[in-house]
Amino acid sequence: MAKSPILGLFESADHAADAGDALKAAGVPQADYDFLTDTPYPEGAFGERYESHRLYIFPFVGALIGLTVGILLTSMTQMAYPLVQGGKPILSLPPMAVVTYESTMLTAIIFTIIGIVFESRLPAFKEGLYDTRITEGYIGVLVNVDDADLTQTQTLLTQAGAIDVVRKAEKISA
Amino acid sequence: MAVIEPKGHGQHAGMWVFPDATVMTQDMGEKTKAMPQPFTMALAVTGVLFFLGIVGFIARAIDDGFGEIAPWGYYMAIFSMVFMVTSGAPLVAVAFRFTKSHWRRPLSRVAELFAIVGILNLLMFIPLMFLLPSIGNPEGVVEGQMAVRRTIWFEGPIGSPHAWDLVGVAFLTITSLAILWLSAMPDMAECRFTATGFRRWLYNKLAGNWYGTKRQWNAQKAGLALLGAFYFMILVFIHFVISSDYAQSLIPGWKDSIFPVIYTISSLQMSLGAILVVLFIMRRWGGYEGYIGKSTFWSASKVLLGVTLLWVYHLFAFFITFWYGRLEVEQNIIKYLVVDTYAIIFLLNLIFSFAAPFAVLLWNPVRRSAWGPALAGLMVLFGGLMFNIRVFVGSANAAPGSDIYNLTFEHLPAPVYPDVWDVFMVVGGLGAAIFIYLAATKMLPLISLWEVKEGTLYQKWGKFMRGEYLILGKPE
Repeated sequence: MAKSPILGLFESADHAADAGDALKAAGVPQADYDFLTDTPYPEGAFGERYESHRLYIFPFVGALIGLTVGILLTSMTQMAYPLVQGGKPILSLPPMAVVTYESTMLTAIIFTIIGIVFESRLPAFKEGLYDTRITEGYIGVLVNVDDADLTQTQTLLTQAGAIDVVRKAEKISA
Repeated sequence: MAVIEPKGHGQHAGMWVFPDATVMTQDMGEKTKAMPQPFTMALAVTGVLFFLGIVGFIARAIDDGFGEIAPWGYYMAIFSMVFMVTSGAPLVAVAFRFTKSHWRRPLSRVAELFAIVGILNLLMFIPLMFLLPSIGNPEGVVEGQMAVRRTIWFEGPIGSPHAWDLVGVAFLTITSLAILWLSAMPDMAECRFTATGFRRWLYNKLAGNWYGTKRQWNAQKAGLALLGAFYFMILVFIHFVISSDYAQSLIPGWKDSIFPVIYTISSLQMSLGAILVVLFIMRRWGGYEGYIGKSTFWSASKVLLGVTLLWVYHLFAFFITFWYGRLEVEQNIIKYLVVDTYAIIFLLNLIFSFAAPFAVLLWNPVRRSAWGPALAGLMVLFGGLMFNIRVFVGSANAAPGSDIYNLTFEHLPAPVYPDVWDVFMVVGGLGAAIFIYLAATKMLPLISLWEVKEGTLYQKWGKFMRGEYLILGKPE
């Protein structure tokens, strides 16, 4: 059955947390509801599940690629133009460090930015329901439920203290 | 925004403010859109200076071309001045976010907005890339000269140092812009509902599908931490590269491991100074007194005092090493940059980067004011300008022509005074930086909404024993 979003608006964080508890008690999977806020609340403030992310993998992979490219580029240059300077070996690490460090950092940064876009689900985010009152400090509880359960969920959110429940998607992009 | 009476007892009166989170987004949207007359005037004046800078640059290029670096000493100095302020500023936001300092909240966006001026740095750097003399001596091995001049690049890969310098500066700019984008994303997502025209278009494009879900806040927090760490790592590297390639390597025989550190410390000192000046202007004339308490100045001033002391310590470490070394080249470098050729500029540098701000910041009542730290900030900016003129004009003119490949620094050139095009470029560079910053304040809110709102969750004014004090929550 198709799922639709429904958004409950709460004036206080306590009421929003109550709604979370009620949804949990009603058997709504935790992956199907989320809290929308205008500022980051501390971890577990709403009794929500821990949202893990894999952002740390991206710079690590990027750094490895950059490090490899840097080592290859500098060592191949030194092999191609074998100039002995100050009696140092052709393949010596100190001259390689500058370029290798730069290439490592650059690719790590590029991969981090890609990771942020991916992990924040910025290009394609399934929920499209929002209310501008969230910018005034209201807490939104966004639930994705089967169409048949929409009315029941609306009642549940209202009973938890929602001052308003929104169903229709608001167009927010230009 | 309804101004709430600042809180604080006795000597701490007015130290803390508690802005109303419910009207913050709307208020900040209006402030971003507003164009009061003094602001328009400042924009016009800096715009004219910007234009003069372009005129000076074109005139210098016509008169001297790009074959020699010597005529471009003042251009290098003003590039470095703007670069030091704008590259260090985002790190101020990053560092205090790392340390979870609550007083930093009104300061974060002011610091991060300097990233937009970084685009000017990148553009100004392109001519410098062409001006940097080749590492290899075109004459080959000549008596008293080296075949390859001393740089950090050795015989290093294709494109070094020019292309690698440019790529480094470009990535520093990109990283600072990425930090600004990620930090401002929640605010842009909020403001897109009330913004109109270009701002609405910009916010929609840059905020993407940000709704403020738990996952997005977590990713943003981790992303800011990672980018902040990388920014620090690449910033000290690029400072090392710029100070080595455009200062040390241009004076034959100048080998100093302390100078890149002085350069980075000067950058942090100047950027913190610039941030304090901007905060003071915002608080005094911009209508932001409800967002910026004196606690921000008080806390930042202690850091500025510490950095100022670090600056003079490193300067002394540089000086004493060369002074005791007593090699001819070391004596000549001290004479050239410190006690003889550029002695007056050095004295001004010392007074305004250390003595005067130290004397101001030493006093508790002055540190607790808003004007005291801002005044010290203004001083270190002037001192920084003197530092850059001394070092970069000196370096560009130390070894003209093929003398740059000399083994040692034997003959002290006379000081180089600015001509009219140099003056145009210096005031134009400063004007351009201020112009771009002012324009940036009309694109993004000057206060980091999500951070200040987060602060309101954790801070309140409450009773303890017979008095009322700031009560602070520390969730992490």
